[in-house]
Formats: sequence, structure tokens, C-alpha cells
Amino acid sequence: MKRLSWALLAIWTLTAHPAFAQAQDALSIIKKADEKLRGETSNGTMKMTIVRPSWSREITMKSWSKGTDYSLILITSPARDKGAAFLKREKEIWNWQPTIDRTIKLPPSMMMQSWMGSDFTNDDLVRESSIVRDYTHKLLGTETVNGYDCHKIELTPKEDAPVVWGKVLVWIDQKEYMQMKTEFYDEDDYLVNTMLGKSVKQLDGKTLPSIMEVIPAEEDGHKTIIEYIDLAFDKPIKESFFSIQNMKRVR
Amino acid sequence: MKAIYILLGLVLAPYWAFAQTDKPKNWSVTGYVKNLQTVLFIEDNYLQDNLIHNRLNFRWFMSDAFTLRADLRSRFFWGDLVKANPFYGELTDQASNDWLDLSVVPLNNNNLVFHSVLDRFFLEYSKDNWEIRLGRQRVNWGISTVWNPNDIFNAFAFTDFDYEERPGSDAIRIKYYTGIASSVEFVAKGFDDFDEAVMAGMWKFNQWSYDFQILAGVVQEDFAIGAGWAGNLGNAGFKGEATYFLPRKEEGTAAFTMAIGIDYAFNNSLYLNVGYLYNESGSGNAGVGGLFNFQLSARNLYPYRHALFVQQSYPLTPILNSSLALIYSPVSVHPLFVNPVLTYSIKENWDLDLVGQIVFNEDEGYKSPVQAIFLRTKFSF
Repeated sequence: MKRLSWALLAIWTLTAHPAFAQAQDALSIIKKADEKLRGETSNGTMKMTIVRPSWSREITMKSWSKGTDYSLILITSPARDKGAAFLKREKEIWNWQPTIDRTIKLPPSMMMQSWMGSDFTNDDLVRESSIVRDYTHKLLGTETVNGYDCHKIELTPKEDAPVVWGKVLVWIDQKEYMQMKTEFYDEDDYLVNTMLGKSVKQLDGKTLPSIMEVIPAEEDGHKTIIEYIDLAFDKPIKESFFSIQNMKRVR
Repeated sequence: MKAIYILLGLVLAPYWAFAQTDKPKNWSVTGYVKNLQTVLFIEDNYLQDNLIHNRLNFRWFMSDAFTLRADLRSRFFWGDLVKANPFYGELTDQASNDWLDLSVVPLNNNNLVFHSVLDRFFLEYSKDNWEIRLGRQRVNWGISTVWNPNDIFNAFAFTDFDYEERPGSDAIRIKYYTGIASSVEFVAKGFDDFDEAVMAGMWKFNQWSYDFQILAGVVQEDFAIGAGWAGNLGNAGFKGEATYFLPRKEEGTAAFTMAIGIDYAFNNSLYLNVGYLYNESGSGNAGVGGLFNFQLSARNLYPYRHALFVQQSYPLTPILNSSLALIYSPVSVHPLFVNPVLTYSIKENWDLDLVGQIVFNEDEGYKSPVQAIFLRTKFSF
């Protein structure tokens, strides 16, 4: 999935699956890649750049998450949107608008909308779907992406999964289990978006791509870049941090 | 000349302040400058009006729990409406205050009016589950999208799209969060005469993935009870609110207002919002003139008894958004309010808006007596 890692943090236990210790099947590779971005919690600062042929725009934000169910995003620039916040708790999303002093509940259909005009959707930021739970996985072979030897895996969405794609191809680095490339196809098997992981760095002790680029297939000169300025895992964050009261207070 | 210096000072002050230190700050200044050009067509005449509008939002994070907030709204007016009305400054000043007088009119002549008001000025205590605010603040109790019968602490002109922050109330607000998305609160506005008092309590809670709220209190000459909700029907948002105003004295009349709405965001980013307002105090046969100078309150949210609202919004590109809102009232003159808006992001902190407000009604044929066009440039910092 064209995802943001801090929002990826599924709580997962290996207890019921002794078979994972053995073969490098597609599911266990996906799980390792997913775990890589996961902690009990995460928080970070990131910059999103929307690039179009004749202009570009930057948005910076802070984020906090706990598991896949709770996340909070605070917009820190541009000035016009500074202080706006988004809170997700399970299936509910609220938006805090400081200029009008109001909390607005967002309809679920807003989830699949473009996030602030970018090539990401709201769902990518507040993560409803999971690459582990919502897809079946098939190992297609190995390929090199940008100098990294990768497993190539096909993901097919399960029925009823909250997913808009027909299929997803993902390339995962064999050593560090980093998601280096992802292709998203629609239900008619046309390529819609490509996501590339770039600029591999140490982020809080984990080796991860610090930049993710989403490139729409049909639009020349269009892309959205997300860069992690900093990212920390497993700092204790209480569930009550993800509240309407705190959405107004964080800064 | 004086006006230019004042304006320059307001715009540049935050930059001088920012330039001083790199240490993590316990204060912030944000805001914007807007230039609004208005052309108003009435029958065969037109009026031209100009407004430069500055907003400075000061925050002082005094400690973990205490924040002091002061927002200064300053406006320069000039043009045909200023010339035509010798009391323009006085009227603007009167409309901008609540219980306390926190405004000044340093310039007030036939050519130019400069008005400045602290429309937020309060101390906030927020710790554990408590949130207490004392001073001039916005108490926004609306929960639905278009009309807000529960928003009993505010009154604003319906067509004034240029003031999204809206005026503040001089009040004390005590709020206790009983959970993640639930709270109880009590708010009382300052008053000299009990007939001007607004004080009420609100209980918010979350159930079945819906936000609910219930309010009760005194709103000037009425008792008010109300309720509202925000939730989902499938993937669509489903929101509504209603308030019943019961007169405290025998000579008053009761009033009921109710708004209900559904909004939906399509995959292609088209956003659609439809709503209905029932406004018992509204007229069944008034003309359209009231739309432009109508002071609304939660008791009377629109000049007419019924109103249907449709709004669609579509980003032509991520930096160019179009929207069109229509409000129609099925009453004798069939008033229709048409509100097209184009919003363009020129650069990161620069926005340009083109706004139309066109009114139609039945008056020996269906025609439009009033049209207004607004061009707004906004620089945010």
C-alpha cells in the first residue's frame, strides 16, 4: 500500500502461527516488512511535497500513532492550515479547525479523498486497511530495485476489505525488509500509482527509506513526496492521548 | 499616510518579533492580511467597496496548563458605502462588541474608516480533564454542516463569508471531558440586564459511532433546549441539530429551529452537501432585501421559514477549487441565493478567491435584484 509508516502500526502477535519460523513464504515477508515500520507506538515529523508540472506545494506535519486504531496528525505549515488536526480512533475521524473553534466529524467517504490535494488519500494517512490482513499474498520471484535485491510479491485484496485496488505488486528488500517499490493497479489491471522508497537511513535505530514518492501513472510530471524529518518508535503514548481534548492541545 | 503606517506596523510586527531568537518559544504570532474588493449591483446602479483586513493571533503558553490568547482584527474600509454612510465607523464599532468594549476606531472620516477589535481575549486552563476559559472567546456549539440551531452564543450576518472566525462572546466556559469524545460544559456570557443573558449547559457523548449533544439554558428572553448529532449513514455524513425556544415571559412567542444535512465525498473528490432548515420564526412572504442585512441568531437562522441547501465543491486542480451553493426557499417570492466560489492558491501562503452572491426572486417575473462580486487576496503568516 502507498502508506505512511507511522500509521501502519498493526498490533500483531505470532502466537498462533508456528509455521512462520520456517519457509520465507510471501505472507511472512509482508509481515516482516510491516513489523519493520511498526512499534507499539510511533511519532514523527514529516514534510509532504506535492509536485505538478508548473508548481509545487509543501505541507509539514507532526504525527502520533498507537497500533492501527489510533492516530493524530497536526499540520504545522503552511500558515493557513497551521494548527488544524486530524484524530482517528478505530472507524471514526474528527477534524479540529482552530480558526472556527470547532471539531468536525468527517464522513467515511472522505477517507478515500485526496489528502490536502496530494496523491495520497486520507486513508493512507489514517490507515484503515492493512497489507497483512486485507490481502492474500503470492511470491512471484526476485528482482533488483535501485540496487537492492528484492522479493516481488503480488497482493490481491480479500473480499470486503476496505481497499480500492484490483491488485498491488510490492518489492521488499531481502536483507532489511524495506518496501522499496509498490505498484497499485485498478480493477481493470491498469497501473494507477507507483510508490518508491528512497534515501535509506537509520530512523530511530531502524534501517528505512526516509523518502517515499508516489507517482501517478497517467500524469506526466505529477508526484507526491513524503520525507520523514524524524521518526521515533515505542515511546510510551497512552490511549487517552488520542482524544478530542488533546487534538486541540498538541503543538 | 497615518493609515499606511498603522497597516505596515501590523503586518511587519510579527516578523520583527520572529527575528529575535531561535530558542523554543513559549509564544506565537500568526495571522493574515486580506484585501477584499466588492462590487455590489442593485437594480441598475452599482457600488464599489474596499477593505484591507488584518488579523493577528497571539498565544502565550504561560505554563503547561495556562494559555493566554489575544486575537486582534483590524480593518480599513473605503469606497462608496463608507461615503454614503456618515455613521459607518460607529455602526461597525457597535456591531463588533459583546459585553465589554474591546474596540477602537482611530480613523473615521468620509473617505476612510479604520476599526480594530480584540475579538478573542481569554485565559485558558487545560489540565487533566478540565478546560476552563475566561474572557472573550468563540463558543461554537454547532455540530451540523450548514445551519446551527445549537450555536446559541453567536450571531452573525449570513452573507459575511469574510469573517469565518466570527465574533467572540465575553464569557466563562467550564468544560470537563468525561471521555475521549464526551464532555459536560457550562457557559455563561457577561450581562447587565438578565434579558440579555445567555447561559447554558451542554452534554456531549459518543454512542454507536455517533457524536450526540444535548443543551439546556437561558438565551436572552427564552429558555432553550436543544440537541444535535453527527454520524454516518453508510459512507455519507449525517448531521443535524434542533433547538426549541420557550419564552420566559407571557408576551413572548415560542420558536423551533431544526437543520438536517447529508454530505458525501465521491472518489473523484467531488463533495456534495444537501440540507434542510425549518425556521419557525422565518417569514412565509418576505422579500429578498433581508438577505444582505439580516442579523441571524440561533432562534432565527434565515429570513424564511423553510430553506433547502445544496452545495457542491470540486477541486479542478489541487490549487484551484470550485464550489457552488444554492439556497432556495419554497415561500411566496421563491427566493434563491446563488453562491459560486473559485479559490486559487497562488503560492504557499497566498490565496485568491472570487466569490459571487446573486439573489433571485419572484417580482413581476423571476429576476435578480441584487448581485455582489468579491475578489479577495489573502496572505497568511
